Amino acid sequence: MSLLRTRDVSIHFGGIAALNEVDIEVEQGEIVGLLGPNGAGKTTLFNVLSGFLKPAWGRILFQGDEISHLLPYERVAAGIGRTFQHVTLFRNLTVYENLLVAQHRHLSSGSFAAMLRLPGWRRDERDAKDRVEEILDVVNLRPWAEAHPTELSYGTTRFLELASVLSLQPKILLLDEPASGIQQKEVEALGPLLKKVRDERGCSILLIEHDMSLLLNASERIYALDFGKIIAEGTPNEVVSNDLVLESYLGRTRRATA
Amino acid sequence: MIYAAPVTEVTIFGLSSGAVFALLALGLVLIYRTTGVLNFAHWAIGLMAVVTYAMMTAIGVPPQLAALLGLAMGVASGVLAYRLVFKRVGRGRQVIVILIAIGLAQFYSSVAQFALGFEQFTRLEPWLPTGDVDVGGVAIRASEIATAVSAIGIAFGFLVWFKLSRTGRALRAVAQNREAAMLAGIDDVKYSSIAWGIGSALAALALLLVLPHSAGTQGGIITTFDLTPFGTLLIPAFGAALVGGLVHLPMALVGGFVFGLARELLILAPKPWSDLRASVAAILILFLLLLRTERFFATRQELEALE
Amino acid sequence: MNVDVAIETKGDSPQITETFDTPPATRARGRRPTRSQLLGLASLAIISLVPVPFGDFGYFIGQYATIYAILGLSVVVVTGYAGLISLMPYSFAGIGAMATGAAMASWGWPFWLALPFAAAATVPFALFVGITSVRLKGLYLAIATLTISNALGETFFTWAPVTGGDSGHLVGRPVVGPIDFGSDLAFYLLCLGAVFVLLFMVEGLRTSRMGRAMLAVRDNELEAQALGINVAKTKLVAFVLSGMIAGLGGAFLAQLLISVTPNAFQSPFAEATSLLLVTLVAIGGMDRAIGAFVGAIALVVQQQVFNGFEFFFAFVGIYAAVVLIAFLLFRPGGLVQVGKILAALVRTRPALGISIIAIILVTNIGGAWLILSLS
Repeated sequence: MSLLRTRDVSIHFGGIAALNEVDIEVEQGEIVGLLGPNGAGKTTLFNVLSGFLKPAWGRILFQGDEISHLLPYERVAAGIGRTFQHVTLFRNLTVYENLLVAQHRHLSSGSFAAMLRLPGWRRDERDAKDRVEEILDVVNLRPWAEAHPTELSYGTTRFLELASVLSLQPKILLLDEPASGIQQKEVEALGPLLKKVRDERGCSILLIEHDMSLLLNASERIYALDFGKIIAEGTPNEVVSNDLVLESYLGRTRRATA
Repeated sequence: MIYAAPVTEVTIFGLSSGAVFALLALGLVLIYRTTGVLNFAHWAIGLMAVVTYAMMTAIGVPPQLAALLGLAMGVASGVLAYRLVFKRVGRGRQVIVILIAIGLAQFYSSVAQFALGFEQFTRLEPWLPTGDVDVGGVAIRASEIATAVSAIGIAFGFLVWFKLSRTGRALRAVAQNREAAMLAGIDDVKYSSIAWGIGSALAALALLLVLPHSAGTQGGIITTFDLTPFGTLLIPAFGAALVGGLVHLPMALVGGFVFGLARELLILAPKPWSDLRASVAAILILFLLLLRTERFFATRQELEALE
Repeated sequence: MNVDVAIETKGDSPQITETFDTPPATRARGRRPTRSQLLGLASLAIISLVPVPFGDFGYFIGQYATIYAILGLSVVVVTGYAGLISLMPYSFAGIGAMATGAAMASWGWPFWLALPFAAAATVPFALFVGITSVRLKGLYLAIATLTISNALGETFFTWAPVTGGDSGHLVGRPVVGPIDFGSDLAFYLLCLGAVFVLLFMVEGLRTSRMGRAMLAVRDNELEAQALGINVAKTKLVAFVLSGMIAGLGGAFLAQLLISVTPNAFQSPFAEATSLLLVTLVAIGGMDRAIGAFVGAIALVVQQQVFNGFEFFFAFVGIYAAVVLIAFLLFRPGGLVQVGKILAALVRTRPALGISIIAIILVTNIGGAWLILSLS
C-alpha cells in the first residue's frame, strides 16, 4: 500500500482545468519529484493534497484512508506537512517562538491549564522547549534564536521553514520549491539534506522544484505535469529526456541544468 | 390639508434618510476602494462641516454661505486626514488602520465638542426651506423633500461623473492596481487625496442636510448624542456600503435606500414586526456580512489589493 | 562576513534590506531575565500604593483604573493575541454587570456566586460572535461587532428581566464571610487582587500552546493552518476567554457603580466606551497583558487631572487621539514597546536613558500638578 495516492484528482478555475485527472503515488520512504512549467498546476496539487483546496472530483488516499474531507490542520495530524512557495513564517515572532508554534500538535494542555499554571501546562512547555532546543542545534539556527524572520537572510528563513515543518514529524513532506531564491552552495547542500531527512526520520518527500540539479540528484522518481495533466513519469533520466516534457519547457526560460 | 397620512410621510422620511445614508455610503466606498481604508471617522469629518456651519451662522454669516463653508471644511478635514495620517500607514495590518481611523474619529469628535462648547445642545439654523408643502393633500416639511431630492441628485451626479470623467477613470485605476497606476503616470497620492476630498464632501453634505433640519421650522439641534451617531448614521451607512460589498458605488446608493426605507416602513407594519425597527439595520448588516457580498462585486485580485 | 541583499515588498513599497550571515552580537539570548520580572513586580507594587495618600477618593480612582484594566485584558486576549478586531468589549462587560445585578439584587445571590455567573453569562454571546469571526475577515468583523453592540443596546439591554427596569439594579458591596468590602479601601484591594490575578493568567496564556496558536493566527492564518492549528477553534476560544474576562470586569463594574442602569450599555455610550477601551489598550501596548494595565492607568490619570477643568476635558479627547495616532504610526507596540526601548537604552547608555526617563517623569508630573492647581 502506498503512503500517498491520488486518483483522478481534478479541479477547475473558471472553466480551465487546473488539475485534470491527476494520478500520483508516493511510497513509504521515497523521494519523488514533481516538475513542470509555471502554471502547470504543481502548487495547486499541493493545495489539494494539504487540504487548502477542494477538488471537483477525485480521491486522495493517505495510508489507505480517504482524506479528502479533512481540513488542513487534520491532515497535519494525519502526518502530512507542507511548505509554501513563498516563505510564510510568523514575522512578529522570534525564530524560537516560530519553532514553538510548530510544536502545537505534540502538546495538549488547554488555555485554562495555561492561565492557572497547572502541572499539565508546565510539562507541555518543558517538552516543547526541549524539542525546540534540539531542533535549533540540528538545523544550526541557535545563533538566530532571538531574531525575527525579517532579520534573517532568505536562505536562513528557508531553513527555518524546513525546521518548522520537520517539527510536525510528518510522514510525508510536501516541499514547494525549497531551492528557489537561495544561493548555489546552499542548493547543493539541500539534496544530501533531504536524503538525510528521509533516512533518519523515515519520512517520504514530494518535491516541486525547478532547479534540475537538485531534482535529479534527490529524486528517485519524477512526475512531469503540464496544463494540469501528468505527461510523464519515471526515473529522473527517463523524464528529463522525454519529448513531451522537453516540449512543455520550450520557449520558457529555466535555470540551466547542472 | 391633512397633517401626516402615514404612508406618504413615512415614505418621504424613508427616502430622505435613505438618501443621506446613500451619500455617506458613496463616500465610504470611494475612500475604501481607492485607498483601502474603511473610514470609521467618516461621520466625524462630516461633523466638522456641521460644526463650522454652526459657528459661522452664530457670527451672522447667511446660512447658505455657511453651509458652503462647512462643506469646504469637511473636504479639508478629509484631505488632511489622508495626507497627514493615512498616507503614512501603507497597507500594513487592518487592525492598525482601523484603530487609526477610530483615533481620528475621536480626534474630530473632540474638536467638535470643543468648538461647540459644552452645552447640552446647540441650536442650528436651517439653510433649506422648512415650511410645509402640500404633497397630494399631506403636509410634508420642505426640508425633507429638499434633502431627498438634492441627495438623490448629488448621488446620481456623482455616479455619472465617476463613470465618465477622466478623474473618475484615474480613481478607478488607482483602486484596481496601485503600482500599475503609478507606472502609468497617475499620481497615486494626488488621486487618493481627491478620493478623500470627494468622499468627505459627500459625508459633509449628508450631515449638513440632516442635522440643521431635524427640528423642522426650529432648525436643528446637536445634542451630545449627535456627536457619536453610531446607530443613527454610522451603522446604516456601513450597511448601505455593504450592499455593494464595500466596493460597488451604484449598489451603495441602492443600499442607502434599502436601509432608509426599511427603518421607516416598519412603522407601518403590524405590532410584532414594527418592534424590529431599532435592530433592523443590525439584522440586515449581519445578513449581508454572512452573505459576503464582496464576492459579487470585486475580483479576488481587487480584494487582495485592498488588504 | 557575507552580506545578503534581499528585496522584499513590505506593503506596497519595495524595500531593500540588508541582512547579515553572522548573527547580531548584541542580542540578548535566552528568556527574559528574572531581574526585570522582579523590577516589573516592584513597579506594580509601587503603582498600587499611589492612591493611598488620596484617601477614599484615591481608592475610588484606583477601583476605576483596575476595573478598566480588567476590561482592557479582555481586549488584549481577543485583539492583542488573536488579532481579531472586536469593537464590543464594553457590551460584554455590560452582560456581566447585568448578570451580577440580576443575581445579587433580584435573586439575592452572594458575590462569590454572582462572579462566575457573570462570566458564564457572556459565553453564549461570545460563542455567537466567535462563530461569525471565523467567517469574517478583519474589518468586516469590526463592522459586525460594532453592529452587534448597537443591536444589543437596543434589544438585550432594554429587557426588564435583564436590566431590572429603567432604574436598574441596586447592587451592594460584597460581604465575603467576615470581610465586608463596603469601605473604599477594602473594595480597592479586592479589585487590585482581581486585576493582579487576571494579569497573571493572561500573561501566562501567552506562553502556552493556545496563546501561541492565537499569536500565530494573528500573524499568518495560512501558516498556522499548515502547522496543524485549528484556526476556527482558536478564534472561538479567544472570543470566549475575552468575553468571560470582560464579564468578570462587568461584575466588578456593577459593584463600583452600585446602581446599574441599562443606559450605560446602550448606544452611544456602549460603542463609545468600547472604542475607548480598544484605544487605551492600543496605547498601552496591545499584545502584552501589562499593556492593558498601563493603558488603564494612563486613561484614568488623564481623566482625573483634566476633570476639574471643563475646557480641558475635550482637550483630553484631542490629546489622547493624537497620542494614539502617533503611537499607531510610529510605535505600534504602544507604551510597553516604548518602555522596552527605554529599558534597553538604560542598559546600553545609562546616562542618556535615565535622563530621558527623568525628563518624561518631570514633564508629566509637573504638568499634571500645574493643571490640578489651576483648576
